[in-house]
Amino acid sequence: MGGLTIIVPVKAAVPNVTAVRLDPVTHNLVREGGVPLMLNPYDRNALEFALKLKDKYGGKVITLSMAPPSGKDFLESTIGMGADEAYLITDRVFAGADTLATSYTVARSIQRLFPNFDLIVFGEETTDSTTAHMPAQVASWLSLPYVYYAVDAEVKLEDRLIVVTRYLEDEGVYETYEYKMPIIISVYKNSNPPRDISLTKKVEAKLNGLVKMVDNNTLKLERECVGLRGSPTIVAKIEDAKPIERKKQIFKGDPREAAKWLLENLTKEGGVIKP
Amino acid sequence: MGGTKFDVIVVGAGPAGLTAAQQLASRGGFKVLVIERGKKPGSKNVFGGRIYAHVLDRLYPEYVKEAPVERWVRRERITMMTEDSWTTVDFETTKVEHKSFTAYLTNFVEWLDKKAEAAGAVVVSEVPVDSLIIKDGRVVGVRAGNDEVYGDVTIIAEGINRLVLERSGLAPPKLSPEIVALGVKEVIKLSKEEINDRFNLDEDEGLAWVIAGFPTHYLPGGAFIYTNKEAITLGIVLYLSYGYQLDVPIHDLIEEFRLHPMVKRLIKGGQLLEYSAHLTPVAGINAAPPKLYGNGYLVTGDAAGFLLHLGILIRGGVDFAMESGRLAAEAVTKAHDLGKYDEDTLSVYGRLLEDSFVLKELKTFRNAHKVLIEPRLYSDYVRMINNLLRRYFEVDGTPRKLGSTLLESKGNLTLIDLARDAIRLVMNL
Repeated sequence: MGGLTIIVPVKAAVPNVTAVRLDPVTHNLVREGGVPLMLNPYDRNALEFALKLKDKYGGKVITLSMAPPSGKDFLESTIGMGADEAYLITDRVFAGADTLATSYTVARSIQRLFPNFDLIVFGEETTDSTTAHMPAQVASWLSLPYVYYAVDAEVKLEDRLIVVTRYLEDEGVYETYEYKMPIIISVYKNSNPPRDISLTKKVEAKLNGLVKMVDNNTLKLERECVGLRGSPTIVAKIEDAKPIERKKQIFKGDPREAAKWLLENLTKEGGVIKP
Repeated sequence: MGGTKFDVIVVGAGPAGLTAAQQLASRGGFKVLVIERGKKPGSKNVFGGRIYAHVLDRLYPEYVKEAPVERWVRRERITMMTEDSWTTVDFETTKVEHKSFTAYLTNFVEWLDKKAEAAGAVVVSEVPVDSLIIKDGRVVGVRAGNDEVYGDVTIIAEGINRLVLERSGLAPPKLSPEIVALGVKEVIKLSKEEINDRFNLDEDEGLAWVIAGFPTHYLPGGAFIYTNKEAITLGIVLYLSYGYQLDVPIHDLIEEFRLHPMVKRLIKGGQLLEYSAHLTPVAGINAAPPKLYGNGYLVTGDAAGFLLHLGILIRGGVDFAMESGRLAAEAVTKAHDLGKYDEDTLSVYGRLLEDSFVLKELKTFRNAHKVLIEPRLYSDYVRMINNLLRRYFEVDGTPRKLGSTLLESKGNLTLIDLARDAIRLVMNL
């Protein structure tokens, strides 16, 4: 068989966290003026990782998202980047899911729709909930190996082997691991800068309806395991982080003097050590 | 897929482009592609806060129920402001014949997008068009990265920063500072009750307010305040050609304006929701590219200079853009009936524009910017009016008459200046 079948699950329609505010009292999202939604940005790095493998070894890249119908636009964007197909897993029964119910839905959907996949490639985490639960939980549902902080990979197609390079930020080291496919990979978020969106590919996605909707009539997932009913997580309490008191000093004048002043003050405060 | 071809390509999903697309897709049954560089239609649009609705009456009569209207403007104010004083003309009417409303432009453009897509137009965002494909002197499509898409005719609705026109040699490189202004805007959340109380408005009633003088540090330009349902928008527009005279960065101007005693109490307790900045064509028709149509293309909206914002004189933008989009669609339909899209058949666009309110307004105010860019209007006159009234209203035991107070208040201005400026203003506005 030729090439790789790579599934890239993405989170569509996450709020742009740099552009939203939380109400200081209720901790709810302030929705006035509209909350800007976007594709989880780290999923674009994961998609880039997958597309590079496809460019090198052939095959196809399929994106998939469990989201409300409005997620379609964001999946079109993944086709614009180069995904061959996109699937929107959408059904009312999936609503209100925590990470456990979501990972169950994603894992079983992949099993049912693409039983012969080689790789599932995730983004490192999402910008709105930052749990990084999804790849680990999906690996667990599917009983497959899971490697994270991946930055690069090489494949030996004939042996169905993959050699993954991962980057450990704190240690500043690279490690390589060899696995028998299929495996689950999550991609280091500061690697694989995503490619531009292609006009013709996005036009094709729109004209040919390349984003396919799949509901639970097709998937027939256990109702007790999905959506709110399948979600044991409850948010017990939210506390605000206290802002750090700053001294807020402003130095006006000559930049050379400013630099001296800054160094002196930082040294005094113990922030830097003079050479 | 090299074979992607459309009847019409529209560059830019703003009010002009989406109106053209909707009209062509719904009425003419054209196969239309709209290409937008922002994350979604509307995400790159910025305006002051008001839409003149007369153009919607014709295009989408259902807008009254459907469009994301914030408040209907029923009250207008013009203020001459100094650091410590302000003089306001406050106009109210119960007899509104031609409506205007405040809105979030992003929401409004999203609504226009739904209309265009419902009519069958294909709208693709997140893709910046790099240039036009020109073959044998005619525009035959667009280029984005390595991709090319072809269309019989291209409508350029790319907005004020008309990079596609410039790169394709259809507009002079770089806008000259005289014809553009920089706008900076904030949206501040307040409760509906606070807004109604502080601005003396009823439910759904809106206020449009322009302020000259102190907000731009007495340079040509102005400030504005609009009321939304549960937020107010305020901003500064500064003629770019005077930017170099500004003693602080423009973002400090908006800060100072917000902290001015008149504004401070109006926005007390408010929460900043949004901050944005954008270029705007000030001089309307003078900002137009050399040609508004040619072989295989038409130019609409801001890219064509269809906007009139002269600091304190604001006549329209979104309405001009939508009307020019509608006319572009009509021109394309007419040219289609003639069987080709060359400069000759598309010249009907020029004639339609001539007969429309867009060019009539713009031509009426063609020279207005030359008068309104007179720095005295924003400095000496603002100070004079406030000094005059302060002295007139203050009682300190020295009797004053209006005439002598005027002479005391006029500062640097000579009586000849006063007479000459008065005549120029009346002649050009």
